[in-house]
Amino acid sequence: MTRLYRVLLALYPRWFRERYEAELVEAFAAERARAEHRGPIGTVRFWIEMLLDVVASAYRTRRRGARRVSTQPPRRSFMEGLSQDVRHAVRQLVRQPVFSAVAVLSLALAIGGNAIIFAFVDGFVLHPFAYPEPDRVVTIGSTFPRMSDEERFVEAISLPEYLDISRMRSIESFAVFDLGNRNISGGDRPERVFTGLAVTDPFGPFRLPPALGRGFAPGELAPGGPDVAILSHRLWRGRFGGDPSIVGRSVRVNGRPTSVVGIMPPELLILGVDLWIPHGSNPEEMPRRMRQFTLVGRLADGASLAEANAELSVIAAQTAASYGAEFEEYESWRLSATPWVEALMRDIRGSMQLMRGAVAFVLLIACANLSSLLLARSTTRQREMAVRLALGAARWRIARHLLAEVALLALAGGAAGLLLAYAGLPALVDLVPPQLNTLGVTAAINGRVLAAAALFTIGSAALVAVLPVLQSTRANPHDALKAESRGATSARTTLRLRHGLIVAEIALAVMLLMGAGLFMRSLANIRAVDPGFEPANVLTMRITLPVEKYQGTAINRFFQELVDRLGQSPGVRAVSVASQFPPQGPFSFSFSIEGRPAPDNSLPTALVTVASTDHFETLRVPLVAGRRFTAEDRENAPRVAIVNQAFASRFFPGRPALGERIRFGSGDDISEPMQIVGVVANTRNRGLSSPPSPEVFVPLHQQTVNNQLFLLVRSDGDAAALLPVVRQQIAALDPDQPVYAVRTLEDVIAAATFRNELPMILFGVFAAVALTLAAVGIYGVMSYAVSARIQEIGVRVAVGADRRDVLWLVLGQVLRLTALGLSIGLAGSFAASGAIRRALFEVQPMDPATIAAVVGVLGAVALAAAWLPAARATRVDPVNALRCE
Amino acid sequence: MSDLWLRRPLSPAVLHILLALTDGPRHGYAIKQEAELRSQGQVRLKPGTLYEAIQRLLDADLVREARGDCHPSNGQEAQRRYYALTARGRKVLRQEIEQLSRFVDYAHTKLEPA
Repeated sequence: MTRLYRVLLALYPRWFRERYEAELVEAFAAERARAEHRGPIGTVRFWIEMLLDVVASAYRTRRRGARRVSTQPPRRSFMEGLSQDVRHAVRQLVRQPVFSAVAVLSLALAIGGNAIIFAFVDGFVLHPFAYPEPDRVVTIGSTFPRMSDEERFVEAISLPEYLDISRMRSIESFAVFDLGNRNISGGDRPERVFTGLAVTDPFGPFRLPPALGRGFAPGELAPGGPDVAILSHRLWRGRFGGDPSIVGRSVRVNGRPTSVVGIMPPELLILGVDLWIPHGSNPEEMPRRMRQFTLVGRLADGASLAEANAELSVIAAQTAASYGAEFEEYESWRLSATPWVEALMRDIRGSMQLMRGAVAFVLLIACANLSSLLLARSTTRQREMAVRLALGAARWRIARHLLAEVALLALAGGAAGLLLAYAGLPALVDLVPPQLNTLGVTAAINGRVLAAAALFTIGSAALVAVLPVLQSTRANPHDALKAESRGATSARTTLRLRHGLIVAEIALAVMLLMGAGLFMRSLANIRAVDPGFEPANVLTMRITLPVEKYQGTAINRFFQELVDRLGQSPGVRAVSVASQFPPQGPFSFSFSIEGRPAPDNSLPTALVTVASTDHFETLRVPLVAGRRFTAEDRENAPRVAIVNQAFASRFFPGRPALGERIRFGSGDDISEPMQIVGVVANTRNRGLSSPPSPEVFVPLHQQTVNNQLFLLVRSDGDAAALLPVVRQQIAALDPDQPVYAVRTLEDVIAAATFRNELPMILFGVFAAVALTLAAVGIYGVMSYAVSARIQEIGVRVAVGADRRDVLWLVLGQVLRLTALGLSIGLAGSFAASGAIRRALFEVQPMDPATIAAVVGVLGAVALAAAWLPAARATRVDPVNALRCE
Repeated sequence: MSDLWLRRPLSPAVLHILLALTDGPRHGYAIKQEAELRSQGQVRLKPGTLYEAIQRLLDADLVREARGDCHPSNGQEAQRRYYALTARGRKVLRQEIEQLSRFVDYAHTKLEPA
């Protein structure tokens, strides 16, 4: 308790404290001893008294202290003047609580929103990773125009290609790895973890040391090296309780004893990989077409990204020259270096920028609003200002008064905004799709976000202050003090300025509303898309059979057995396994049509899906022609394939696809010909918002075995209720076999539409805030305009204007401003349509229905905001209006 | 320095401190106890107010430190500073009391029927 009192004593000037501290504390202790008998309320009272005592006496001491050193007459220093201004401003703001509350609240909303969005941009785009110089960590991407226009970064390069690339000088210390899944045990239960199969030490380019232990030694990475592993920090903490003695101990990876040599630092969660083991291959012996490796490197000291790209294009050209004859896809292929962060965040970057723009608009609106409110006030205080000017106050002194007020408001708004951001951020972080969370990135309030919030605060204060300050210092004392004028001329300029601000607010709100409306339409369109299959009542999960345990025919035997068993289980309508299922289709392959040389020698590609017999029944995809797969389509039976309508119409336009034969691959690496025996209806197989892609289905037993497949089960009722049955059947086949990624098909679709949902939610919120602020602004200006014109209205009523005329006088004004703001806002939306077009689905940026809705909503809000002032104008009593003053 | 900073009439705190010192030097907390005793608990000088007022009186030369004038009886007492009235302080106090008594006389004439 005495310690608390000592802290309070810091309020006194130092010299006073040094002199009296001991005595003050002694006196305090004596007082407290007396107060102790008075119970809890007495204690509280005692503390309040002590606090007031210290504050009051410290204030008096300081005031006197300041005067003691000054000479007479007391001339106030700059700081003193400033503190006086601040005190004056506090009094002003306290005296107008409604104005202050509205101002602080709107700034808080705007600054808080900006801080949240900035936290996202910072966490996901600017500084997602904590290793040194993240800008210099790059990944090598490849583009094969002969196969697709897509540039791939992850799983993009083969090891022979890596050997070509590793000759380059401008990028050094490559981390090269393949991705896969492994079962890890040595703990309570076996677990399937995302695994990096390292060709080189994964720490290389990141320049972060392991949290414990070491990285891989060259001997461990070579073929036939020992079984060693590095664990991610989160796996180590989650599964092994953060036990440091794990390093050097043995865990089982896919059943093999493997010794742990190191733990990744927490900042390094590369692509969400939890377990690193050596790939154990000789790069020179790996096939050129096995492009499933990811390359991450660091720009060499002094090298630039442009140099690296130049070097890469030379390497690509050399490779094409050496191997182009054998591998036709090398024709005009490209290699590129892209900052790792940029490559990972490619998808969300665009929508982040959009958000940033949108939330900046909200801040601008809030500033315009506050500026307008202050302008109104500076007009009513015109006389005060004029008197002070006339008495010789410096104009800058008056400006400083106003600035102090704005600064205080901005400060309070900024602080409240930060609190808002702090409270609101976790809820928004939860909205982030999990695939981004696996990268270990997140948004948080950190130093940079605080700095940005401070910048927003200062910036908005400056924006807000500019007009009112100019206006108030321009006041002409002569005019303002003339009794009759009531500062009318300058009231009119003020009103004009405020009208301008209202128009700007409306224009900005229109742009936000357009955005919100367009995203809403977009989402509705996506939701209305017919996926081509029935998502209800289907349970999906992934099953990966460990290669150590299942090889060759054993794999398909397991899957076939599982499908057969489940097909007979109660509650199951249909069941299938497949290598992929809509709405996502990541696996495509090049193919050729028999008897038809590919035009201009390039191979077409199509999605290739391995599926068991009942796949189309399970998804309820209708058969259009031919037949479905049957149990007869076995290994030794004639090879067959089923294609979708998109395939049939793209490659066999105007004639039946049935009976045609196709082959996958080319050259030496070509499959046996398959006859097309059926055509099924299209599904949205490349995402709901993309048109259906050509797709080929091949029977489970006629393909090179695939140890990782999806299980799809259609049930009679609730799909999730089937999970115990499915688990039971899997356990009956193999008790050690885990399943993962268990989701209903409806959940899968919901996750796929999320990317379209987030911008809609955020734009919706921004637009609502903007609309509210604009309404407040319109109301404020119109109320003010009505009171400023009260005499005029009185005269009009006196000479015979009726209520409707008066109503229209006010509402007409609002409608003119709204119309102007709408036109400017729509023009702005048109100008910004390029930025938003890519994020929309089947709706144009200048969608007429959206424009109509925005015009309607805005007009209604503007009229509603103006209604009260207009109604007040109609009640003006001409006698009173003309008599007053 | 002058008594520029002492508002007239003197504040109750200042008045009580000066009165408490008329008997001789006292340390701060003793001043407080004396003031409370004399006013029968009406005046309660809180620590901050007390020492701030003492400093003000020191500055105005109405009170001085009187370390040598007293005889500390134990170790703790030795740390304390003692304060005594200056001649000027005594004069100001007397003036103030005279003024107050004139004011009280006047007040009585107003309240009592002549």
